Amino acid sequence: MSPPSPPDGGWGWVVVFGAFISIGFAYAFPKGLAIFFKEIQDFFGTSYSEIAWVSSIMLATTYGAGPISSILVNRYGSRPVVMFGGLLCGIGMVSAAFCTSILQLYICVGFITGFGLALNLQPSVIIIGKYFLKRRPIANGLAMAGSPVMLCTLAPLNQFLFDNFGWRGSFLILGAILLNCCVAGALFRPIGAATASVKTQAIEEGKAALKEEVTKDAMEMSSPMNVPTETKTEEEGGKDCCEKINQYLDFSLFKHRGFLIYLIGNVLMFLGFFAPIVFLAPYAKHIGIDEYSAAFLLSILAIVDMIARPTTGIVANSKWVRPRIQYFFSFSIAFNGACHLLCPLASGYTGLVIYSVFFGLAFGMVCAMLFETLMDLVGATRFTSAVGLVTIAECCTILLGPPIGGTLIDTFGDYKYMFIKCGAVMVLAGTFLFIMNYYNYRMLAKEEKERKAKEEAPKSVRTENEGRNNWNKETAQDGPELEPLREEQEGLKKEVNGTNEV
Amino acid sequence: MYDYLYRIITYHFDSSTTLLGPDPTTQELKQATKENVSNHTFVKYEITLPGVSSNSVEETITLDSATRIELSCRLDHKYSSLKNFQVTWKKGNETIRHISKTEKSWSIQLEILDNSNLGSYNCTLKGEEEISAVFHLQVPKIEGKEKPIVSYEGDTAVMICKSFGYTPIAWTWYVTNGSEQNAINDSLLPDKYAINRVSANVTHLKVLQLTKEDDGVYWCEAAFDLGKSKGKLKLKVLSFMVPLKPFLAIVAEAIILVTIVFLYEIYSKRKEKCAEDEKEFDQVEQLKSEESNGLENSSTRHRKI
Repeated sequence: MSPPSPPDGGWGWVVVFGAFISIGFAYAFPKGLAIFFKEIQDFFGTSYSEIAWVSSIMLATTYGAGPISSILVNRYGSRPVVMFGGLLCGIGMVSAAFCTSILQLYICVGFITGFGLALNLQPSVIIIGKYFLKRRPIANGLAMAGSPVMLCTLAPLNQFLFDNFGWRGSFLILGAILLNCCVAGALFRPIGAATASVKTQAIEEGKAALKEEVTKDAMEMSSPMNVPTETKTEEEGGKDCCEKINQYLDFSLFKHRGFLIYLIGNVLMFLGFFAPIVFLAPYAKHIGIDEYSAAFLLSILAIVDMIARPTTGIVANSKWVRPRIQYFFSFSIAFNGACHLLCPLASGYTGLVIYSVFFGLAFGMVCAMLFETLMDLVGATRFTSAVGLVTIAECCTILLGPPIGGTLIDTFGDYKYMFIKCGAVMVLAGTFLFIMNYYNYRMLAKEEKERKAKEEAPKSVRTENEGRNNWNKETAQDGPELEPLREEQEGLKKEVNGTNEV
Repeated sequence: MYDYLYRIITYHFDSSTTLLGPDPTTQELKQATKENVSNHTFVKYEITLPGVSSNSVEETITLDSATRIELSCRLDHKYSSLKNFQVTWKKGNETIRHISKTEKSWSIQLEILDNSNLGSYNCTLKGEEEISAVFHLQVPKIEGKEKPIVSYEGDTAVMICKSFGYTPIAWTWYVTNGSEQNAINDSLLPDKYAINRVSANVTHLKVLQLTKEDDGVYWCEAAFDLGKSKGKLKLKVLSFMVPLKPFLAIVAEAIILVTIVFLYEIYSKRKEKCAEDEKEFDQVEQLKSEESNGLENSSTRHRKI
């Protein structure tokens, strides 16, 4: 059931703050652990690649456990899942503090903490879709800004902990810090059926009817289209296997045109997304820059990223961009690719600083809109399953990206081929998304016309139409305060269209 | 004919710069010496003297095994106006005989066979002003760790020493006991210490079953042909209570925050429910009154617009 006009504010901003923390930990924590690797490598006497597996397993689990996360959220809602995830992370890191072999580290840090972070990431993104509609891009941008902010905080914090407590003590304390994800989860107040029904009954006719008419329209529009997952839970008896599975994880999404476009484009994009960050500092050292300046490049990147994400959210929310947000997303991917292609031309430190600034900007733009565009395509209800399916597909390419880049560097002895490969892949992904979304928008517009034609024919719906026309007249004359609601209605229309199946 | 292995390192100095420490070209030189070990091989080092300046110019040369070297001081041609000066080469107070290779350069040839041959050699030009340059000959430095290694009671600590570029003949580890340095014998105490030469340039010391007494300074000593070099490492042994306190504090903070959030939610829900009940009551009243007014109301609404 599409919730009756998501609040778009109020407690929603508190939820954004919780999501900020949760998403921040999920993305920044694996990267922040790198500080401990040298010491752990010396302690266990292993090679660097064996230690690097810890990070890879963690990342793979965070993305790969996406579907499980989605199923749990579909069943229990965001809040319990995030709190359980935070608890799991804490347990994982505390047990890692007592590890005596590298294999135990793989399990404790890699699997358990990684799984806990997966249970943090997906529900946080999902609940933003439940609380926001009109201002969703801003909310998404702000929440995703958690990643660079947390990274900038975790890096010096980890160094401080390491200097004072060694790696074991640090893992113990980090386990406690991860419990704060539970606090973030506690802020995710469930929203949906319960609160809505009370309101609709109380304010059916009369005064605030305008808001209700929007809801009524939305519900009437949505009911013939997508059978909502939540009503299904009430009629469980006598269903066949497929529907039951779809209730937990909506595999019917694979027939959804927009979803498929997004999936293919993103899977392609992630091949070249993370490798440049991994290799930026080594590249800088390779062309002769000292270690601290190389590390500073990453700081510049993080700071620009931090500012770019909320800014992109605001830009994406503006009335010019919001209807065409998919184009904006494709553009930012292509822009990212163009940066990488131009990087080999950067000579010296100044060139690399400029590259870092633009890369930070492009990276922030893409990340801020990563989930927003998916929500825009599939709608808030199916987003839960969509995000799970997308993350598990991206998991493979995310893991492959840096090693492929590393192989290119080792084979040719030159970093520029890695940048060219990343740039080419991303420009390709951006172009693909641009073209396919153009096609998708046209198909959606066509389907909308057909649906309108169908709706105008039957008599039973005529009154609704009249009602809607009257309401439209009222809004036209009532002025600006109802403008956003009308936009919301159109936004809802788009969402509903998004749930159309091919 | 002597077969010279000839490399010149020329440094041009202003009064504001002094160069210290190993330089990249020393590496090439070291490799070069390794390739051609013959009695007739000299490795050459040269300093170009700055003009009239008070700063002494220095260069550090790292040697790990016996070599023959030639140290030269050269006067830059822009100072060719200087005349009537005396050149002396000294090590400490001892004067060494030098050769004047050209009109403006003077050098000494040395055979470095053991530790006594290492040290500081300087050349001085005494004229109206005094200009000097110093060559420091020393064994390769071993780097320890500046920051202490933190470990816990009952745990194991691994300390690593590396030699960069030069392979030592042997490694020895020392533990500082009060003011003495005692060599660590791992065969004597195999349950406590384990020394491992992982590769030619790297040594590991594993200290097992750590106790508070193991806390302190450790030295790793690399023995070269020409002498020994030490690296310093610090070990800090903490009890498990140390990280436990911040851990418990943060866990407590998390639990308190979660409780506060839930309590606030229950409180605000109750408030909302009370407010809604009131609102419902008011609205029901109003609807009743509106019904009685009915059409009048809706038409008024239209008219207002």
